[in-house]
Amino acid sequence: MPEHVRLTRNRREFLTDAFCGFGSLAFAQMLHADITKANPLAAKAPHFAPKAKSVIFLFMAGGPSHLETFDPKPLLNKLDGQKRPAAFGEAKYQFVTKEAKILGTKRTFQKYGKAGIEVSDLLPYTSQIVDDISVIRSCHGDMVVHSAAQYQLMTGRVLPGFPSMGSWTIYGLGAETDSLPSYVVMPDPDGALEAGQPMYTNGFLPAVYQPTMLRSGAKPVLNLDLPKDVSFDQRKKTVELIKGLNEANLTPGDTEFEARVSAYDLAFKMQTEAPAAFDLATETEATRQMYGIGKETTDDYGRRCLLARRMVERGVRFVCVVSGGGPGNLQWDAHEDIEENHVRMAAQTDQPVAALIRDLKQRGLLESTLVLWGGEFGRSPEAQGGKGRDHHNLGFTMWMAGGGIQGGRVVGATDEIGLRAVEKPVHFRDIHTTILHQLGLNQDALSYMHLGRRERLTEVHGTVIKEIL
Amino acid sequence: MKARNFVGFTGLATILLASGLETYKPAERRHWSFQKRSEPVIPQFTAPTDRAWGKQPIDAFILARLQKEELRPAPKATRATLIRRLYFDLIGLPPTPAEVHAFVADPSPKAYEKVVDRLLASPRYGERWGQHWLDVVRFAETDGFEYDTHRKDAWRYRDYVIRSFNADKPYDQFVREQLAGDEIDSPNEELKIAAGFHRLGPLRKNAGNQEVASSRNEVLTEMTNAVGATLLGVTLGCARCHDHKFDPIRHTDYYRMQAFFAKTHDNDITLATPEEKADWKAKHDAVQAEMKSLRQQMKGLKGPELENMKRKLEDKENNLPEPLPALFSVANDPSKATPIHVLARGDYANKGEAVGMRPLGILLPDGAEEWKPEKPRTELANWILQPDHPLTARVVVNRIWHYHFGRGIVSTPNDFGRMGGRPSHPELLDYLANRFVENGWHWKPLHREILLSNTYQQSSRSPMEQIANEKDANNELLWKFSRRRLDAEEIRDAALMVAGRLNPAAGGPSIMVPVDKELTNLLYKPSQWAVTPDPEQHNRRSVYLIAKRNLRLPFMETFDAPDMNISCAKRETSTHAPQALELMNGDLANRLAIDLAKRLQSEAGNSPVKQIDLAYKLAAGRASTLKERQLAIQFLKAQPLREFALAVLNLNAFLYVE
Repeated sequence: MPEHVRLTRNRREFLTDAFCGFGSLAFAQMLHADITKANPLAAKAPHFAPKAKSVIFLFMAGGPSHLETFDPKPLLNKLDGQKRPAAFGEAKYQFVTKEAKILGTKRTFQKYGKAGIEVSDLLPYTSQIVDDISVIRSCHGDMVVHSAAQYQLMTGRVLPGFPSMGSWTIYGLGAETDSLPSYVVMPDPDGALEAGQPMYTNGFLPAVYQPTMLRSGAKPVLNLDLPKDVSFDQRKKTVELIKGLNEANLTPGDTEFEARVSAYDLAFKMQTEAPAAFDLATETEATRQMYGIGKETTDDYGRRCLLARRMVERGVRFVCVVSGGGPGNLQWDAHEDIEENHVRMAAQTDQPVAALIRDLKQRGLLESTLVLWGGEFGRSPEAQGGKGRDHHNLGFTMWMAGGGIQGGRVVGATDEIGLRAVEKPVHFRDIHTTILHQLGLNQDALSYMHLGRRERLTEVHGTVIKEIL
Repeated sequence: MKARNFVGFTGLATILLASGLETYKPAERRHWSFQKRSEPVIPQFTAPTDRAWGKQPIDAFILARLQKEELRPAPKATRATLIRRLYFDLIGLPPTPAEVHAFVADPSPKAYEKVVDRLLASPRYGERWGQHWLDVVRFAETDGFEYDTHRKDAWRYRDYVIRSFNADKPYDQFVREQLAGDEIDSPNEELKIAAGFHRLGPLRKNAGNQEVASSRNEVLTEMTNAVGATLLGVTLGCARCHDHKFDPIRHTDYYRMQAFFAKTHDNDITLATPEEKADWKAKHDAVQAEMKSLRQQMKGLKGPELENMKRKLEDKENNLPEPLPALFSVANDPSKATPIHVLARGDYANKGEAVGMRPLGILLPDGAEEWKPEKPRTELANWILQPDHPLTARVVVNRIWHYHFGRGIVSTPNDFGRMGGRPSHPELLDYLANRFVENGWHWKPLHREILLSNTYQQSSRSPMEQIANEKDANNELLWKFSRRRLDAEEIRDAALMVAGRLNPAAGGPSIMVPVDKELTNLLYKPSQWAVTPDPEQHNRRSVYLIAKRNLRLPFMETFDAPDMNISCAKRETSTHAPQALELMNGDLANRLAIDLAKRLQSEAGNSPVKQIDLAYKLAAGRASTLKERQLAIQFLKAQPLREFALAVLNLNAFLYVE
């Protein structure tokens, strides 16, 4: 780790920003602050003993249906074509109106694993790993439109401009690797999402906590490759010249300029070492096959899941692997035809997702890697346009695995038609709190002073989901 | 300007509308920033050196405070350092070698003053200081959120800001135009553009069941919070859901402020002749008709066929004629006035008592009544701009100080509340605010006074560095000038200028520079990024590049350019590896390195010594040192000039201002 990369914010501000008012934690965190002053990305001690070191978020963008995946509702098929009984209460959707009729599901559910967790036939591979995951059937968020719901899922706020959970994570824990970026997003090559770039970014945190968007194609990280007409040896000499000229004016004890000099060392190290992390050719054929690499439907998501494993293996803190992008129907956004959309989206991701869990487990990485699966909301019990389902934020499913999360558990429940989380509701803020908790971070202590407010990932206090720990 | 009684306004107060008008405890009222400004006594000194250094009031306040800590100011910086500092500070660009030379060689005792005046008069000044304002008001030219729709005419506001700075428009007028330009009865288009201020925030639009009340609530929230943070330095937004936890701003206060915007609505004023309008409508309707027929053909399609059709539809949509030029403004529409209620937890569906207009209670006598003005925002502006308003002038002079010194007298420029910083020099703050108001709210005389101070002209290194560092590591007391890294825009603009490529054209619609496909692919609608065809336009100053919320240029992002979704009062200056990667491997740096190499070759000939000398003069505003020269000569013996040029763009001496 370089010693001297420094945030040019003063120590008092930093202490105020990050920690004031948390007496019992204060001392440990003063040490923490000193380390941070030397290098904002130096690995930092968490607030308490962590279970997880890294997070992989398998982001099923657009909103996968809980009713077709993990939350069987026999009553739905009985009520098919009828209006929602008044007893279930009201719901506000983006498109469907009060006149909409309940839509039954064509999926069949079966119990899997020792725990007997019900999974639909849409996810044959995932059904084989249920003993490693905890299914949360009672998730809910506040927004029913993509952009705002995606902001809330990623940043805890329904507006753009706030730091994402990945940025918060590296702000809290620093980096474990100096040859790769610490917070990586792998978007779906089909295109962008409604909330766009701002949902992944560092918001008002310093740029050092920004995400690195991995690109498809031969150059996954921006600026990691030399210009076409410059050789490596040539550029190495240039970097040495830059160092020499910058050091020529260095006053001893000038930590800021020392930080600049070491940023070049670090950049050069990344440039030489990172490409190996992206080279999937070194993986065995068996591994590649497990992820579905080489098969048309699974190749892309399989590659990105395998890359995610290689990242956490090398100490990357936070990886987001997005399924879905571009027009709604290329996401899990099944307004027109839930069958057509979900069969296609599940076929692309099911095998790679299960492979990732197996692979992490067989390498002993699952213990220290928390995996989160899900989207910004679920889908409506009512039909949209006959065969589709609308957005639905009042009750839906996500799952978690690894990083101290128990396998084979089911938490919470929605009502009989999957409309509303009725048992042990879990808000996004509870998901965030749980992730931070597993990383050894306290949701209150992980804060940053901005515009007069001590901002946190969880705007309203969240609750750790103890049932899955 | 006639001073108004600060807490008075009896002429406007009418009947008491709402019950439960707030009261405030004496302790709440005592917070320093809610007190009227004092008339501070300027410190006097006995020792001749102190009297000489502290002759001007600014220096007297600074010196007196330093003396309390037994610290001394640093010596004066060299002229070469000073001119580079002034140039970046005032115009955001480096001085040319000739300008440095002329200044260093100028025997006149007024040499420095002349440079200050020249730069204050330069049209480049507005481009630099306008950017500061644009940061604070979170200026962007797109809606953000899902569609990130482009606001084709938002650039007019940017030009308005730049023009206003260049004209040294008094701040009270500048603020009044932005708060209430549309309420002023005048044919001046500028006033309408200024009022676009209320529309600068992100705007959520959605398909489907429109939540009209919710969207309206978001719009009103943006308008209200912007006034709080930008003009008053109070975190009003904190009181949207409940009473402010730290400051004496009640939940009701927030909504009484919001009530000033109840009838404010978007207003696009088309700038076209009736014929142009008719022509536009014909084109528009024709494409619309085609789109309608496509939509009919889409029915019943699914999967890839449907996606294909959707793309066709999108292509058609892109064929819609560009909107006619318009003024991006607001107007009052009493028929659409939103009834303002106190909203529990800020939730529009959770309405509490109805409230009317009134500014913050903490700055009024207890139980002050609500107002019923005809022109709500005009009256709000009048209240904010009272010469003795305790916050307004302090907040703005603190911003000015912050940009000159890298740190405000109050270190939190958007927050003068209890959670904000305490002023390091409270008397100086009041002195500056008083001077500012006395000088008719003009910025330039205040700049001048600050820049001519000994405080500003100190070296960035002090002979008592070690002792001073122990007492005041952050240099809050200004025992030296704080070195600063250039902002993202300054780095890009200076690199363009040093390489001889800067296109100095000013104003007009914003520029979209070419970016990698991978980047536009991150847009929900990649076609929104329509690269400006003329490549010379790509070399314009950064303030003229489009401010698109969902696509920030990686170069700007990595050097801490703000996010544009919320007000940015001070920029972070982080140091990290992606910055090094950007300047070593990025397209812009490498392209400009080639240009710089060509320039060195053509202007300095083939002599490496001359090339090195010119490069340092261009990029660092000084000659190279012996050691630097030796290293560079050695390098150039076997390596190409463009690689040396690239190294120059990576120099601390280029990227920092001493």
